[in-house]
Amino acid sequence: MARIHWRYGPPLYQPLIDILRLFTQRGVSHGRLFDLGMVLSLAGSLVVVLFLPFGGISPMSGSGGLLVVLYMMLLMPLGIALSGGEAANPNASIGISRKLILAMGYEVPLLLILLAVMTHYGSISIAEIVSAQRRTGASIASVPLVLSGIAYVLIMPAMLGVRPFEVVQAPQEISSGPMAEYGGAYLALATVQHALSAFIAISLFVNLLWGGASNPAVFFLKMLVVFVLVLFVNAAFPRLRVEQAVRYLWRWPSLIAFIGLILVVVVGR
Amino acid sequence: MDRNQLAKWFQAPTKMAHKYSLHAVYFCTGCGIIEVPPVITARWDAERFGVIPTATPRHANLFLITGYVSVKTLRAIIRTYEQMPEPKFTVGFGSCPINGGMYWDSYNTIKHLDRYIPVDGWIAGCMPRPEAIFVAVTHLWTLIDKDMADGYKRYRTNYAAYRANQERALGELEWPPLFPMERGR
Repeated sequence: MARIHWRYGPPLYQPLIDILRLFTQRGVSHGRLFDLGMVLSLAGSLVVVLFLPFGGISPMSGSGGLLVVLYMMLLMPLGIALSGGEAANPNASIGISRKLILAMGYEVPLLLILLAVMTHYGSISIAEIVSAQRRTGASIASVPLVLSGIAYVLIMPAMLGVRPFEVVQAPQEISSGPMAEYGGAYLALATVQHALSAFIAISLFVNLLWGGASNPAVFFLKMLVVFVLVLFVNAAFPRLRVEQAVRYLWRWPSLIAFIGLILVVVVGR
Repeated sequence: MDRNQLAKWFQAPTKMAHKYSLHAVYFCTGCGIIEVPPVITARWDAERFGVIPTATPRHANLFLITGYVSVKTLRAIIRTYEQMPEPKFTVGFGSCPINGGMYWDSYNTIKHLDRYIPVDGWIAGCMPRPEAIFVAVTHLWTLIDKDMADGYKRYRTNYAAYRANQERALGELEWPPLFPMERGR
């Protein structure tokens, strides 16, 4: 990130130092729901991580598959919303409403994309989709699913909450939004949760559309490539307003994903 | 990473983490804040030192007071300081928080900031250059290493005295005491 700005920047392990520092600081709790919402959000993201196959390793991907992932992904913003709302900070409330609006924005194209993928492979199991791609090649390179892949790339910054869709945190506008009242260990947990949600969004893309991988190292490399691309977007763009973000998300990615879904149905006939 | 410091990382990881992750609240009280934008952006790039500005005091552990402190902003400074999670470090930037500076005879400014909140270090000058912030940060590292940056501990033990000074300057304070008052003097 700093190198893109032509700066020297912090060392690569700076996030680890930050997390260590935050865990050793004394945080202030704002009530029972403040703690429980954090736990709910963190538990939701950890469970989703278990359901996603990571290269060859897939702890729980035999059961449920994509539908479970879709349901459990809702827990992440919900937990943060409950927890941040308990703090009764006006900036946190604005941030939460923005987070839910943005989630509404990117879930429409995301559902269309997942529907297209599920229809094409006739399966809801992520492991089966990955093994099917090993026979036929990555689905983003195949004819019916290329539009879904493009749509996923377009909504990726919104799912990760980076610029130009950094409307939720927006330190200059609403002083970090939902994070405003987290201090010490709470902020560390919130940061870990944010990192997990980024992991989920990227690994879903790699699994469903970029063919997954047979061993964890290749999988990690693919995730790293996607992450660096998203960082480039993050470094190059300014922030959109909320309604601009939703208008963009519901117009272009949704349109492309919808055409992709129709294409899949037509080609599948 | 500096290889000479690996031993320190294993001996006291929390202390090293507090050293190299100084997230700062730049309290914009006066003209000193004009030196901060070059420091945190690409020209001087404070992120090399792990110094990043934060938007809320709950995330921060370095409190940089830039410029003169009027009676009205003292109230905000105390509230901000008390919201920051411990351990926390305060640095006064410029002459004005040290002894009033060019506002030494003003009726409306606080002359000695360290009577109201504990201050771990000063950057003298009117104005200090942006490099002075880096000098201050490296000095603060040394102080943290030697356990001498103990302002938050002093605040806890001498809270009654600090609170009395705050009430003398501001009148009745509308927030309850942070620590029990019977400790200290």
